[in-house]
Amino acid sequence: MSWSDPARRFEPVEDVQLRAELRDLLGLGPVVASNAVAPNAELTALADDLRREAQRRSRTQRKRPTWGLLAAAALPLLATLAGLGTWGFQQKQRADGLAVQAQRQEQELTQLASTHATEVARERQAKEEVQQQLQLASRKGGRRTEPYLVIPVEKPIRAGGGDYQRVKQNPR
Amino acid sequence: MAQSQLDTPFGTQEAFHAAFAELYPRLVSYARRYGANFPEDIAQEAFVILMQREIRVEHPTAFLYGTVRTLSLTERRPMKNQNLSLEVVAEPGLAGGADDQVLNQEVRERMRMLSPTFREALWLFVVEGLSIREIADILDIPEATVKTRIHRAKAQLKEQLNPSGGVHVLV
Repeated sequence: MSWSDPARRFEPVEDVQLRAELRDLLGLGPVVASNAVAPNAELTALADDLRREAQRRSRTQRKRPTWGLLAAAALPLLATLAGLGTWGFQQKQRADGLAVQAQRQEQELTQLASTHATEVARERQAKEEVQQQLQLASRKGGRRTEPYLVIPVEKPIRAGGGDYQRVKQNPR
Repeated sequence: MAQSQLDTPFGTQEAFHAAFAELYPRLVSYARRYGANFPEDIAQEAFVILMQREIRVEHPTAFLYGTVRTLSLTERRPMKNQNLSLEVVAEPGLAGGADDQVLNQEVRERMRMLSPTFREALWLFVVEGLSIREIADILDIPEATVKTRIHRAKAQLKEQLNPSGGVHVLV
């Protein structure tokens, strides 16, 4: 059966009829059923040469990279990117933790400062109260008031007569 | 045996030889009609490209015709005459194939009167004997467009034969 035979390609009947009608309009006459060209030695040799040429090109042609090869080539890059991503995530987590810790320390310091200021104020107030009471007490006792706080001390114990050695004779 | 069936795009070695013997002269003639300077080289290159393909082609005949058409138009590209579509069909003897023996002067004249777009589809359908599906593959257009072009070519042919508008005079 010829390669150009429409029956080989399972054409619809209407297409075959249309072709016959058009051939009739062109004055070509009906389709000759089988006019297959017998392959002679020259054409057969040419066909084999072309086939060998196609095989040679297929062997020597540089193959396009397949998806597997592309994936394998991209694997180191992907691994590097994944590593960098993990490292960056860890660094961010660490930075966030340090920031929270620093904020907490700042709050503690602020709290300590305010406590210290309250203590200082309380001490100052107590001192003023003591001074006021001392001034009040000195005014009542008729004593001369001292501008400073006097701490009473015990008189030193006088040494006895026999406790020392006279080194110079009294004049007679 | 199953392996040998897949050896060539046309099946067995013998089937390939038979297909080559029939298609090669037609493809040379087809390339020559597009004004190719080296139609034999183009037809051979089309066969090599077909057999070089790793994926099996569904319509090898259509693939060969399409490749020859593309290569012929590419060869003509420096001439900047891409719009020319089978114009040389009207010039007798240029194709030099068996089809020119079939097509007489009157047929060539009728084909020449058609618009190039319709003529191309009509040529492939009627003279080359290709199916609508194969022509769609070759021209890279939908099958419906091929059918439309063929039917319009048919209308133009009818108009050529009966320019008076359908009034037949019986003598």
